[in-house]
Amino acid sequence: MKDENRNNDSLRNDSLNDDSLKDKSLINESLIGGTSLWSSGWSRFRRNRAGMAGAVIVLCLYMIALLAPVISPCDPVQHGDLPAMRHNPPSVAHPLGTDKFGRDVMSRVFYGSRISLTVSLLAVVIAVVIGALVGAVAGYSGGIVDAVIMRTVDALMAIPRIFLLLTCIALFSRSILLIIVLLGATSWMGTARLVRGQILSLRNKDFIIAAESLGAGSRRIIFRHLLPNTMTVMIISATLRIGGIILIEAALSFLGLGVPPPTASWGQMVFEGRDVLLGAWWISTFPGIAIIATVIGYNLLGEGLKESFDPVQFS
Amino acid sequence: MENLLEVKGLRTEFMTEEGPACAVDNVSFVIGKGETVGLVGESGCGKSVTALSIMRLISDPPGRITAGSVLLDGRDLLALSPKEMRGVRGNDISIVFQEPLSSLNPVFTCGEQIREAISLHQGLGRKDSRAKAVEMLRLVRIPDPEKRYSDYPHQMSGGMRQRVMIAMALSCQPRLLIADEPSTALDVSVQAQIMELLLDLREEMEMSVLLITHDLSVVAQMVERVMVMYAGVIVEDASVSDLFSRPEHPYTEGLMASIPRLDVDVERLDVIPGRVPDPLRMPAGCRFSDRCPKRIDRCLLEEPPMFDTGGGHLARCWLSAPTP
Repeated sequence: MKDENRNNDSLRNDSLNDDSLKDKSLINESLIGGTSLWSSGWSRFRRNRAGMAGAVIVLCLYMIALLAPVISPCDPVQHGDLPAMRHNPPSVAHPLGTDKFGRDVMSRVFYGSRISLTVSLLAVVIAVVIGALVGAVAGYSGGIVDAVIMRTVDALMAIPRIFLLLTCIALFSRSILLIIVLLGATSWMGTARLVRGQILSLRNKDFIIAAESLGAGSRRIIFRHLLPNTMTVMIISATLRIGGIILIEAALSFLGLGVPPPTASWGQMVFEGRDVLLGAWWISTFPGIAIIATVIGYNLLGEGLKESFDPVQFS
Repeated sequence: MENLLEVKGLRTEFMTEEGPACAVDNVSFVIGKGETVGLVGESGCGKSVTALSIMRLISDPPGRITAGSVLLDGRDLLALSPKEMRGVRGNDISIVFQEPLSSLNPVFTCGEQIREAISLHQGLGRKDSRAKAVEMLRLVRIPDPEKRYSDYPHQMSGGMRQRVMIAMALSCQPRLLIADEPSTALDVSVQAQIMELLLDLREEMEMSVLLITHDLSVVAQMVERVMVMYAGVIVEDASVSDLFSRPEHPYTEGLMASIPRLDVDVERLDVIPGRVPDPLRMPAGCRFSDRCPKRIDRCLLEEPPMFDTGGGHLARCWLSAPTP
């Protein structure tokens, strides 16, 4: 379809026939449904069932996080009447049961989503920004600069992340900000590699040489011409990386090094229910399901985006 | 005529695994103010490398300019700092490339890209530079420029995209435009329009043009003077009428004989026998000697210098040597 348009266009456009031009561009837009490269990707994404399912899951989770105070039946940190309220099984008043302090598990799962989603989103933003910058500088500079940067990245990737995190948290105080920064600072290496690869393939494209021939400097080339062309790759990689970050955050909370209690977080809830798993299974199970749903949702979304926007199909 | 660009003894090498390959060797020429000069030769003879060397856009590594000077109005471009050179590119010298599809950034609108070229060199605000970009679109005869400003490259045809490229290149009124096979990738009918546009704009903007092509027929219509390049050296430099009426170099003769003609009925087209020499294994004497039908013994031993055969008609061939 695209080819056909192109041929027609080249014959007609250059005859400078105004009307035929207008017709053509109208047809063009209605067929591919928009005006940019993104639009064809979006229309493909809308037909991608797994991707759409992921998008719906992620959207629902954000809605829950946003509306937690409205939809939660109880206060997530307020202790219930003990011992009557301890380890109550799911009921009408407490649809997901209560924990050992008599707190409503459903409310805690809802509020816990705030921690998981905020931490993972901010951490992934930090990771992608660092990764994109490092990858772009390495890919554009080439030569010795590239070699040094990429070997450093390899070395950093070899450090076991969970131990690094545990050490840092043990050294400094436990705070949500520290966890976000640490997760971001330990998750950028994959993005850096990916972006570098993209930049390498873009660097010798004609439009980069053309931009240089107009007098654009290297900073401008990187930020205006190279990085925007890696945007789809960055978004896809960020989405796929979020699942992993959520899992690590949960693991840290499970180990008691996550967000300090009594703030509800899924990992910590799984940890708290661990001792009574056979008797009061609901305490660990529901936050566990929430973790799995979030990770699956993000991964489906990421895969869907990847299939719809894969740059291979464009170049 | 006053000289705008003066290239002296330019030599550009590329590092290969087998040692340096010289893509452009001892190339010297001048372009006068307002002059249109053609640079002709077959693929791989060093035309584009010459153009990129003038702009200092040879990627290093593997390429390197190892000798010579490029004087623009007496200022040696090869001696400028990278920052000074950026001020020259797009402002004093611009280049239009062969492939209009891949020479535009796919994620920005055509208008934005022209605007960027303008804002790089002229301290114009967003609104003014946008107006100027629309003006440039109008100048390159794009209909409905206000609307086409926000079109992405993939929404335009090849001919339109090349017009956008020309608009970008000309947006800062450069004094020299290098057109590197500007019409090769386009349909024949569009080719003629792009060439015509370039000719018109050259006159409107009073700039010099270096037109690089492998098509002698394009040269005949477009330029005043032609340089013929072979295996990294310029072998002949003459005005168009001189070149077509009395080609001096056997390579030029061979090129002309291989142009299909409507008025002569032939079974087969003439071709030049043999192949372009490997840049790593250049013949000791004249570079064309192994393919030359008029070869004499001297050709194999000594590389000929440029001989002036009268009226500024230069040829790098021993047969053109003045008889003592």
